[in-house]
Amino acid sequence: MLRPDGIRALLDRVTDEPIIANLGSATFDLYHAQQRDANFYTWGAMGMVSSIGLGVALAAPEKKVYVIDGDGSLLMNLGSLGTIARQNPKNLVHIVMDNQQWAETGGQPTHTSTGTDLAEIARASGIAHVIRVASLEDFEDALDHAVNEDGPWCIVADIEEHGHGARPPVSVEENLLRFRRTFTD
Amino acid sequence: MPPMHWTDAIVESLKSHDVWLIPYVPDAITWQVLSKLEQDPAFHTVPVAREEEAIAVAAGAYAAGKRAAVFVQSSGFGNTINSLAQLSQAHKIPVPTFVGMRGGLGEFNPVQIPSAHPIPGFLDAMNIPHYAPMVEDDVTSYVDGALELSFASRLPVAVLLYSQLVGAKRATS
Repeated sequence: MLRPDGIRALLDRVTDEPIIANLGSATFDLYHAQQRDANFYTWGAMGMVSSIGLGVALAAPEKKVYVIDGDGSLLMNLGSLGTIARQNPKNLVHIVMDNQQWAETGGQPTHTSTGTDLAEIARASGIAHVIRVASLEDFEDALDHAVNEDGPWCIVADIEEHGHGARPPVSVEENLLRFRRTFTD
Repeated sequence: MPPMHWTDAIVESLKSHDVWLIPYVPDAITWQVLSKLEQDPAFHTVPVAREEEAIAVAAGAYAAGKRAAVFVQSSGFGNTINSLAQLSQAHKIPVPTFVGMRGGLGEFNPVQIPSAHPIPGFLDAMNIPHYAPMVEDDVTSYVDGALELSFASRLPVAVLLYSQLVGAKRATS
C-alpha cells in the first residue's frame, strides 16, 4: 500500500468532513490529491496531529474527523492515545501511515522497523476500535467501518515509502482560517 | 466589596470570553481553578498526558470554531514551546495559557526553581505577552485583558500564577 492511494481512498469516502494531515508527506500528498477547505495541513509541531484532531473532534461532535498521522510523529506523542481513549470521541478516526522511517529527514528507521507495534499500543491505551492493515484492500475495508460506525478508530496502515509530491504553496494562516470557516459559516 | 477569590475571578473571565475547552496537566496551584471548571457545565475539561498535547488540543478546538484555554505547571511549561511556536504562533491560533508558577516565594522543592525562573525570559524571547496578577484585586482585569488580547490577536498569551497570589505549596501538602 502507498500513502497517496490510501489518501485517495479516504477522499473517496468523505464530503466536507475535516482531515488533519501530519507534517511532511501526509500534508503534501493530501494537498496534491485534493485541495479542500476542510484540509488542515500541518507543517510542524511534530507529533501533535492526533491531539489537534482530538480538539477538532470534541469541538465538532456532529462531524466525523479524520487524522492522517505517521509512525515517527505518533512515537513522539504516545500519551495522546490514552488521552483520546479517555475522552472516547465517537467521531474521531486516527489513521497512522506507518512507513517505519523518518522519511523527511533521510529515511532513518523508526522504532516500528524493529518491532514496536503502534496498533498494540493504541489497543493497550484503551482506544475502542483498532485495526492494523497492510494492503489497500484491507485499508479500504477498515475505512468503510470507520466512516459508518462509531469510534474512536485507530487504523494503522503498513505502507511502502515511495516519496511524496512537491512541497505545496500553502499559507498556514490562510489554511487555518479557511478550515475554521467550514465550521463557523 | 471584597474582590472575588482569584479562582472564581478566572472562572468568570473564561465564561465571559466564551472559553469552553480546557486541556490541562494538573498541579496543586491550577487545580484550585481546574476543580471548579471540572464541575461547571459551561466547560469541557481534558486532562492530557503532557503539556504540548494541551496546546494542540486547544488549537484543534479553535480550528473547529470553539475557544479553549490551557492550564499547566511551570515545571512542564518547557514542553509547550514547540506547539506554541509551530501551531499557535505560526498558524495564528489563540491559546491563552495559565501557568502555575512554582519556584518562587515559599518554594520547598529546589528542582522547581531553575525550571520556573527562566519562564518570563522564554516568553519574552518568543514574543509571547505574559501577565502576572499578584493580588486578587487585579485578577479580573488581568485575565479579562489577557483573554481579549489573545483572541483579538489570534496569538498565545500567558498568565503566570505566582505564590504571592495563590499561596505557596507546603512541603507537607
